[in-house]
Amino acid sequence: MRKPQQVQTAQNDWAGRVRERLAAEGVTPSAHREAIDEIAEHLNDLHRVAISSGKTAAEADAEVAAELGRMGPLAIAVADRDRRQRAARDSGDWKSGLTADLRHAVRVISRERSFSAIVILTLAIGIGACTAVFSIINALLLGSLPYPYPEQLTLLWESDRDNREQTFIVAYPNYEDWKRETRSFESMGIWEYRTFNVASDQEPEQVPGLRTSSSLFTTLAVSPAMGRVFSEQEEAPGHRVAVISDSVWRMHLGGSAAAIGKQLRLNGEPFEVIGVMPPGFEFPQARTGVWVPFGTTDQDRQRGSHSFWVAARLRPDVAFDAARADVEQVGRSLQQKYEDNRDEGATLTRMSDQGVRILRTMLTALMGAVAMVLLIGCVNIANLQLGRALARRREFVVRLALGAGMGRLARQLFAESLVLALLGGMGGLLVTWAATRAADLVLAPGFRALPFRGEVPLTMDWRVLAFAMFASLACAALFGFAPLAGLRRREPQALLREGDRGSTGLANAARRVLVAVEVGLAIVVLCGAGLLIKSLAGLMQVNPGLDPRDVLTLQVSLPQDDTYGPPAREGFCADLSRSAEGLPGLRTIGAVSHLPLSGANAGRALTIEGRVAAAQDGANAGYRVTCPGYFATLGIPLIGGRDFTDRDVAKGDKVAIINRTMAERYWPAGNAIGQRFKMGALQNTNPWITVVGIAENTRHFGLDSEVRREFFMPYSQYAWPVMTVVAKTIGEPLSWQRSLKDVVRRVDPDLPVARVQSMGQIVSSSVNWRETPMRLLTGFAFIALLLASIGVYGVLAYYVSQRTREIGVRAALGASRRQLAALVIRQSLLPIVAGVLGGIAGSLASGRLLQQLLFEVKPGDPQVLGTIVAMLIGVGLLASWLPARRAAAIDPIVALRDE
Amino acid sequence: MGDPLLESAARKGSAELLILAALEDGQLHGYDIAREISRKSGGLLTFHVASLYPLLYKLEDRKWIQGRWVEKAGQRRRRYYKLTAGGRKTLASQRGRWAAFVDALTKAAGLKHA
Repeated sequence: MRKPQQVQTAQNDWAGRVRERLAAEGVTPSAHREAIDEIAEHLNDLHRVAISSGKTAAEADAEVAAELGRMGPLAIAVADRDRRQRAARDSGDWKSGLTADLRHAVRVISRERSFSAIVILTLAIGIGACTAVFSIINALLLGSLPYPYPEQLTLLWESDRDNREQTFIVAYPNYEDWKRETRSFESMGIWEYRTFNVASDQEPEQVPGLRTSSSLFTTLAVSPAMGRVFSEQEEAPGHRVAVISDSVWRMHLGGSAAAIGKQLRLNGEPFEVIGVMPPGFEFPQARTGVWVPFGTTDQDRQRGSHSFWVAARLRPDVAFDAARADVEQVGRSLQQKYEDNRDEGATLTRMSDQGVRILRTMLTALMGAVAMVLLIGCVNIANLQLGRALARRREFVVRLALGAGMGRLARQLFAESLVLALLGGMGGLLVTWAATRAADLVLAPGFRALPFRGEVPLTMDWRVLAFAMFASLACAALFGFAPLAGLRRREPQALLREGDRGSTGLANAARRVLVAVEVGLAIVVLCGAGLLIKSLAGLMQVNPGLDPRDVLTLQVSLPQDDTYGPPAREGFCADLSRSAEGLPGLRTIGAVSHLPLSGANAGRALTIEGRVAAAQDGANAGYRVTCPGYFATLGIPLIGGRDFTDRDVAKGDKVAIINRTMAERYWPAGNAIGQRFKMGALQNTNPWITVVGIAENTRHFGLDSEVRREFFMPYSQYAWPVMTVVAKTIGEPLSWQRSLKDVVRRVDPDLPVARVQSMGQIVSSSVNWRETPMRLLTGFAFIALLLASIGVYGVLAYYVSQRTREIGVRAALGASRRQLAALVIRQSLLPIVAGVLGGIAGSLASGRLLQQLLFEVKPGDPQVLGTIVAMLIGVGLLASWLPARRAAAIDPIVALRDE
Repeated sequence: MGDPLLESAARKGSAELLILAALEDGQLHGYDIAREISRKSGGLLTFHVASLYPLLYKLEDRKWIQGRWVEKAGQRRRRYYKLTAGGRKTLASQRGRWAAFVDALTKAAGLKHA
């Protein structure tokens, strides 16, 4: 039966007749209701006017019928018009539709305030953390060296003959050969690290500096802001000229324009200032302030003396790989040529890669972890969306029934998610902004200081903004479509019939998958953090071979004209111990050139007396200079022989203490005391050195490193320009700073002191770089656990609440409370167990990435994995037990009435 | 069948002019447009339903007129058409062209003695 379209005053149903005519012309009448109404009105008017002009009803009818008879062209026009209108609507739709969608989204979001707040907060934390980690990556890994054409800058190294990854600093003759024989470089420069006491009217100051070839400035393509750099002629020994940094110029020469040509005392000697570098130029590391000519000495020219760094600039037409092949080829030819080079090759690295390899691993791991945290956040939001979708089901279904397509609905939902995600992203940028400001509270000191780049600032540039934008869009895509899960591919009629409490099997399945995903991700992040924590804990258990308790250290510069010559202050050690006598708080005192765990090192090639020539190759050991009392102060036991004394004088026989590893390596028979060795090759004129003592090993290069061979010389016989004074104190070492400074001042009031630190601080800062990722990852893991727990609880609680009725029925049929609780828990555990299994697999896979950051712990460590799996299953049980208990306590009558 | 004069006029586009002119003084629904044209032409020019509405659709499509459903108390809703700004401009220019044409026709065909 057709309903009357309009209330007809006339007895004729004109609309009906128009409809019939259209149908007869092949046009579907139902699509053109408006056109039909309009025409019917017209016919009605015609009929009415005919009647009122005196015609009979039959005549009027005939008149209208004649009109109806001519309907052919009108039918076509009606259909055409409809088609055109629809086309116009569709083309205008996308633009206007999108703004309408967004407007609607803003309305929905501002209506559901608490939902929106939770979503935006979750996203702000997740996106903010991700973007903060990215901003570190952006600054440290994506930034470039602060020199022109930075991609052309390279470093040359000696390398292990068979392994180019194993690189060593360089002997001067190799540099000369490389410079002559390679074809790939525009220029090449060499330098050695030095420390200078800079003295002017100001307090004397210790400033890191270089002795370097003038070609280094050419290589870096940087010119001085004032004056000039030194010439090649000035590189010969004896030229006392210096280039200084902007900050040394300001500090010691008052930033005066007349500074060029002025004298500056460096390590007690007058140097002429010939150039001032532009502000910010601190090559090769932060605070570097003095560059003096290389002044090649005979000692430098020894092939066994590896002390130097070499930088080179590629010719613009030469690719990095080709240049490396060139260098390695030259390295092989030198191997043939020189006895000293037999075990070594040469290789090339990019300057920008220096010191970032471990950083890259670390930051990749952190980025992965923080992305997972964000993913867990998105899963939670998707869960919320699913719950909300149920409440909005009627809205969706009605809109589907009214002819909105699934695509139309998806677009509307995506618009909502997009607005939420963008708001979350903006919040995230605030979080990032705060995080980059507070970064130094979390990052280890010096974490942002990169070789050749100085302290790199964390900035929010366009790349960081673009990343946040991308993360927001990705999130919107991730959780945006969740509400459609239960609606897909179903007839609106069926959905309408189900009403609000229809079966939501698909949505429930989706929720369980989300729980599994969430648990799995949380396990991966937690395991990463767990492994790092266990590594660090293990590392702190390592015996460093010394006792850092109650030891205070400070650095003192002892200007030394000839680095390798006899000490300028032969009596320094004796003066030091005399000066410390009777001072309160100090028990013992000593000094060393290279303090363990401080990063300082020097090495020497050796000739061991009586060793057969074939076995002589590559004899070498770490080189340290000490004052008597050093071993006792650091609690390093002497396992044989004696400590140095005041009787070991410059003119006397040269003596050394060696460490256990060196003794075992070169005198395996256990008779090291009294044996002799010399520095450099057999035929050189260096004096023989007699072993007078053997010290226990220390982990000089870090708690996680191998013990290497070391030998110690008395300062009175072999000088070193920077010594670290160590003193055993009574109680808290840092409270005796003044005492120790007084000791040094009494030795010489002009000696500048620097870096007062306790030995405990030095030990912990040696593991600092491990602490940063551990701390961050632990933070992320905590957030991951929190979010995952909330998510799992939410889903399970909802799941139980949905089954209230079923539980009531079961209770009414006699199921015990325990049975009911077991039922709920059993069913909740399935997704958790699935997630745990996925998480274990994921953490094993991601462990490979972490490997480099671990210390004596393997990915998949049973203790770590076991703890974390137990923890998550515990969370899961708790999350299902709470609602299960509630379910079991339900009165069956109430449950059944709960329709 | 249809009125031959009007049919040919429609082919030449003069029917559009008639509709635009009918709407010049205000909005009208379809039936009134036809009646207005018939009245002004002394019954000489009349529209059939089947020729009026396709023209209205066409003019609406070109945005010279705009149709709108109007519901008045005690009446059934009807679709009223009114001239748009564009329609008004078109009316003026078509009027000018037709006047020139009629003038030329008059002279050339000797419809009237000058």
